[in-house]
Amino acid sequence: MRDDPVVVALVNRAVDGDKGAWDELVERYAPLIWGIGRRYRLTPADIDDVGQGVWLRLIEHLPTLREPAALPGWIATTTQRECFRLLRAASRVDPVDPAEQRDAVEPAVAEEEVLRHEQRTIVRSAFGQLSQRCQLLLAMITKDPPTPYDEISRQLAMPVGSIGPNRARCLERLRRTPALAGLADDSGTNTGKSTGTRR
Amino acid sequence: MTETDWNDDGQLLEVLRDALVTEQEVPRAFVEAGKAAFAWRTIDAELAALTYDSAWAGLEAAPVRSAESATLRSLTFASDGWTIEIELTPEGLLGQLDPPAAGEITARTDSGVLATGRVDELGFVVLKPLPKVPYRLVFVADDGPTILTGWVTP
Repeated sequence: MRDDPVVVALVNRAVDGDKGAWDELVERYAPLIWGIGRRYRLTPADIDDVGQGVWLRLIEHLPTLREPAALPGWIATTTQRECFRLLRAASRVDPVDPAEQRDAVEPAVAEEEVLRHEQRTIVRSAFGQLSQRCQLLLAMITKDPPTPYDEISRQLAMPVGSIGPNRARCLERLRRTPALAGLADDSGTNTGKSTGTRR
Repeated sequence: MTETDWNDDGQLLEVLRDALVTEQEVPRAFVEAGKAAFAWRTIDAELAALTYDSAWAGLEAAPVRSAESATLRSLTFASDGWTIEIELTPEGLLGQLDPPAAGEITARTDSGVLATGRVDELGFVVLKPLPKVPYRLVFVADDGPTILTGWVTP
């Protein structure tokens, strides 16, 4: 993911003035900026400001970005800085943790948000590879609050009794998509778990 | 981050829910504003960020009204070397640059210029009319850098 050739190509095209490539970069990383802003409990209006600051700095920074793979980390760190600037300037919001220095960019937070963002992107792309029926079923189940089974049954014309088994089947397919299988293997390796014993 | 057990249906569902919710949570307007920011790439400018807005203080601390003009709102933008203070009045936008420098100032949107004004030797400028849509100010000093402020939302 970090060495995603797609990102490298997008960055190069954006530097050459390709608006379409820029749009794709924005689609890809807007959730990362949004997530970090929420983490610092900024209001939506403030996150808009943070976003503008980050995008403008990114435009400035793109031509000198030697390692496009480092882009998510750069965005996360810059977003954090912009959040701090805003919190400091306005002093309207209490620091998230008074024990922490507000000015100190916390690499752990940035790194963690980047990893989360990458995982979510992978999971969404895996989800997109499922059949439409599986997508519908899982979307209804993961809704908050979850869609009641009789409602699912009605909408998908699926007997209530087979929702459970279908759910399990769809999740298994999700697990087996190449994107997710890779993720699961990685985490398995990291924790020393056996990766070969999937049921 | 806690380690996910991918083989557990409950945990996998939770990861999926998180991934789907996060995407829906991001407002489209936020994404579109990011895309529109590309229009500013041709302006090689120093960024001046908003450091003060009288609107933050709310009604309790309304901006001091000067004798000659009723200030609706005052804002301050700052970069490393520059400060731009602006006052929005019914007559127009009053701006003061610190340190003082002569040059051109324009109020711009993503797509065009709303107003242009001449900044005098003392760093003072009046921009008319007061723009009614969100804009940013671009200051080009006669013998110096270009400064781009954050958005001013009337």
